[in-house]
Amino acid sequence: MSSKTTPRQRVLVIGLISVGIVFTAFFGMRALHAFNKLNGHRPPPPGKVETDVELVRDWMTIPFISRMYRVPEKNLFDAIGIPPFSNHDKSLKDINQDYYPNAGGYVLDMVKATILAHQPTPTPDASRAPSAVPMLTAPAAP
Amino acid sequence: MSEFLLTQIINYGAPLLGIIVFVGGLGIPLPCTLLVIAAGAFARQGILPWHTTALISIISVVAGDSLSYSLGYYSRELVLQRFSGTPRWLQAEQSFQKWGPLSIFFSRFLVTAIALPVNLFSGTTRFSFNKFLIYDLLGEVVWIIGYGGLGYWFGSEWELASEFISNFGGLVLGVIIFGFGIRQAWNWQKQNKAKSYKNAEA
Repeated sequence: MSSKTTPRQRVLVIGLISVGIVFTAFFGMRALHAFNKLNGHRPPPPGKVETDVELVRDWMTIPFISRMYRVPEKNLFDAIGIPPFSNHDKSLKDINQDYYPNAGGYVLDMVKATILAHQPTPTPDASRAPSAVPMLTAPAAP
Repeated sequence: MSEFLLTQIINYGAPLLGIIVFVGGLGIPLPCTLLVIAAGAFARQGILPWHTTALISIISVVAGDSLSYSLGYYSRELVLQRFSGTPRWLQAEQSFQKWGPLSIFFSRFLVTAIALPVNLFSGTTRFSFNKFLIYDLLGEVVWIIGYGGLGYWFGSEWELASEFISNFGGLVLGVIIFGFGIRQAWNWQKQNKAKSYKNAEA
């Protein structure tokens, strides 16, 4: 900039450029980081029942979790030890505050454990069995 | 705030999302983009009906934007008392007539931080309401269908998409501020050169 620019103009331009650089660098790094995480994930196939309990958040309600993980509401309410009545609309965080104020995260942990307990035990997938392994069959009778 | 609103959207559904985006259109800072992405995910999980939710949200947000346009429109006199006839105001008005449609369209979904100033300025500069409505509607459709669609696509992993979108919006804002600063410096440089040239000639 030339020396004829007023100091106010100079401050404004330097300020804009600096703020622009800071914003670009800060959000650029975060966006790149987020993109890498995003890129590594494939969306779940339609109709798939969610099984990853790490996606349970304390803003979720019991009916919502019940639907997401296909676990009966009753099982979840029973596991937490509270009646369904008047607790349908409450988030896990609110339930925790109302019923277990001295045990932070208890409700969230219980819900995760109940979901895991409700999930069927994984069975080996026959179609993915390595072909090199011989099939265990009863020997033919002589 | 976001968590409270997410819980309430689960409980009250599309009408509440409509109210939230309407209020967001008036400039109250609410995490609307995050909620729209989440609503897409909730639609996939069968919590919200996607077509009704999309329709209610688009109508509500356009109503909110139109109201903030009218705020600018009716506060014109107040603004003119301070800036009327100044070269900067005239320049701003002229440049908005040229760049207004693009600003309106892109500020709906890409740089949402400047959506309210754009609405107010559109009204204050008497930018054609019909034109405003068309570009606003187009931008909001991209916002609701595009971002809601992302949430739908990612399902229960919608938070990843939301994180990327919010940071990308910040990145674009940074590039715009930087570009504006460079352009301003360039313009002043040119003006100063012209002045020096004239002085030298005189």
